Amino acid sequence: MLNWIARDRVATLLLVTIAVLLAVGAAAPGFLAPSTATMIWSNGLVLMLIALGVFPVILTRNIDVSGGSVLGLSAVTLGLSLNAGFAMPVAIALTLGAGLAAGAVNGVLVAVLGVPSIVATLGTLGLFRGVMLIATGGEWIEELPETLKALGAKSIGGLSVMGLCTMVVIVAVWAFLRARRGRWVMVVGDNRAAARHLGLPVKRIEFLAFVWGGGMAALAGITFAAQIGFVPNQAGTGIELRAIAALVLGGISLLGGVGTVAGVVIGVIFFTSIDTALVFLKIPAYWNDLIGGAMLLTVLLIDGRLRIALEARDRAARYHRGEAPTPQSKTLEDAA
Amino acid sequence: MKPTLAELVSVSKNYGPVAVLKGVDFSVRKGEVHALLGGNGAGKSTLMKILAGLVPATGGQVQIGGAALSPATPAQAQAMGLYLVPQEAHIFPNQSVLENVCIGLPQAASAYRSRVKDLIARMGVTLRLETKAATLEIADRQIVEILRGLIRDAKVLILDEPTSALTPHEVDTLFTRMKSLRESGHGLVFISHKLHELRAVSDRITVLRDGFVVHSAEMAQSTDAEILAAMSPGVTALNDRVEGKIVSEEKVLQLSHLSGEGFVDISLEVHRGEVLGLTGVVGAGRTELAETLVGLRPRSGGEVLLEGRPFHATKPSDAVKQGIVHLSEDRQQYGLFLEAPLYWNTSSFVYHRLPFFLRPGREQTRFETYRKSLGIKCASADQPVNSLSGGNQQKVLLSKCLAAEPKLLILDEPTRGVDVGARNDIYRIIEDLAAAGTSVIVISSDFDEVVRLSDRIAVMAGGHLAGELPAGASTDAIGQLAFESKETTHA
Repeated sequence: MLNWIARDRVATLLLVTIAVLLAVGAAAPGFLAPSTATMIWSNGLVLMLIALGVFPVILTRNIDVSGGSVLGLSAVTLGLSLNAGFAMPVAIALTLGAGLAAGAVNGVLVAVLGVPSIVATLGTLGLFRGVMLIATGGEWIEELPETLKALGAKSIGGLSVMGLCTMVVIVAVWAFLRARRGRWVMVVGDNRAAARHLGLPVKRIEFLAFVWGGGMAALAGITFAAQIGFVPNQAGTGIELRAIAALVLGGISLLGGVGTVAGVVIGVIFFTSIDTALVFLKIPAYWNDLIGGAMLLTVLLIDGRLRIALEARDRAARYHRGEAPTPQSKTLEDAA
Repeated sequence: MKPTLAELVSVSKNYGPVAVLKGVDFSVRKGEVHALLGGNGAGKSTLMKILAGLVPATGGQVQIGGAALSPATPAQAQAMGLYLVPQEAHIFPNQSVLENVCIGLPQAASAYRSRVKDLIARMGVTLRLETKAATLEIADRQIVEILRGLIRDAKVLILDEPTSALTPHEVDTLFTRMKSLRESGHGLVFISHKLHELRAVSDRITVLRDGFVVHSAEMAQSTDAEILAAMSPGVTALNDRVEGKIVSEEKVLQLSHLSGEGFVDISLEVHRGEVLGLTGVVGAGRTELAETLVGLRPRSGGEVLLEGRPFHATKPSDAVKQGIVHLSEDRQQYGLFLEAPLYWNTSSFVYHRLPFFLRPGREQTRFETYRKSLGIKCASADQPVNSLSGGNQQKVLLSKCLAAEPKLLILDEPTRGVDVGARNDIYRIIEDLAAAGTSVIVISSDFDEVVRLSDRIAVMAGGHLAGELPAGASTDAIGQLAFESKETTHA
């Protein structure tokens, strides 16, 4: 049991999430209901989409902190084009195009021009927000059509259209990572030089990861606008860091090459569950950040400690047979 | 004549104004092993990278299987049947062995499972396909690289110093593999610094120096002296050991029944001014013993006396302060500050002795003394270490150790990846040190080197001290001790 938990971050997190939900259920009757589940899901949609967008970027050992601004830019594109009288499909296509273009800018900066990804996306974080503010003249976009809001409202089986879209995306990413080319994304982050040596199109893979990140941020922007019905200036501010925190919590290594879709999903659900639970516990909303941060640190610390304990045990077992040390993994792991 | 599989015609390469290769011709024929030799910085690696499409040539033609390599990318070279096994195996640590071998192939890894299994069996090694690559030993990583070449149906395999991390036993198995590949019509390029290894398997030899081909002939018709003279004029052989050295009776270090991670019950003595060779196969516990001694690993039992007083380092700085200095086998990772100037590296063991406000002038003067006495070839004390060749990097490391004025110096694989000329220099430095009264423990897998340097030889096997031999013992005697007990523990 201990082994299983320590070897699998996703399992730890799943258990902690369930424990937290049960504890909140005990304190606030009526929390443990199917309606809460759909609520957590829909509350977490925007974060989920941003996280799914950053996920491949982090797998390639890059990072994208411009997600929040791309979300804002896309939402504004959607709002402006709808209010200018474009039909819904056209507006959505324009929005996705804006997101993909923003992602392509990041991709060109990192993969083609060789700017370190943290620097490049910190730059575009400000840049895209600026473009968005200029486009709106600093005004909020309100009075979005009902057809858009319908996308965010519960329709089929308690889920919204965007909720279903997100599920499709999750399944698609899962299937992709199991495919041959999906593996390429993982190995570029694992050892870039080796990937190049084996003839993989490393730069193209990095570029496409950023483009994907932009596309997902655009989907998040559509979801955001549909759910709240207007686009404020600060739409999406800070969400990229929450997404990265959720990914780390879900066991995705910032050093690249390690991570699962299950980890992404559970990491996001954990964060959203905490926020939702606080509402049920009638704790004022301004406590959210403190409690979320504390929970993040707690889970990471427990997980880290478990891992260290397990490694120490493995190490002791390996050297215990001093008479015949297994050649397996010896010098290298120490050197690593 | 056998058909040519790959060919470089008057290839040249410039990095900015610096010409690394100047019109080099090179070819590999079907069913031959072609040895490529040259000092550090002679251009061997660049030449092979050009052949493998990793680096574009400035001039000349690259042909694989009779067709020009175009576009010059690794993917294209592999598609045309050439694979470069690099010196440091390129491993994806978080992927399985199977994925590591099959990444980049046109189908998913599972489609190749049975073929990879078959190849592993044919090579006569045991390697589980599901093992995570991070846990593989250096030798197994090399096997993974060779498998990558074979699964791609490479007709030409380039092996860049495949033996530098292997023990003699593993080298033998690798040579058997290479010979069977030659029999089946593959062409191999074999790069090594060790002449006797090249002689054991190669059919032809090409020697590079300063970007030119200075010698190219059948292996059987080239004498060692010819080859060495071509490689570095002035050096005809490794200097021989000076006989009749008298070692002081004074004991500097005494280990009694020391145990720790990977070794048990080691009792040893090191005298003042003595060079103790510590050898054995990889995994025998030599490195672990050294690391435990200087406090990098926890000690589980036993006693250590340094000049008669109990010594127990819990962290490396304890050891340095008391006069035991350890030089790691992995100089890139644990030894050098690669981007830092040379003189910073020289000072790096003694920062605790430097004044609050640093005096770069004095540090440079210190570096200058070592530059002269060790013969470090560099342009200035300000250049970063990674701009030097392997041999000179190793000398900078030695200068760092000497700056700490050790009583006992532990050198782990001091000549790995170092060419013959620099190797001679390092041997001389070690001898001078011992003559000046510093005790030296040399850890090495190269039995010839151990015999060449040591006043006494300690052999470890399977974590135990297998035995001690006097100076001048034969490499066979060492091999017997090193492998014998390995076999018994496996039985």
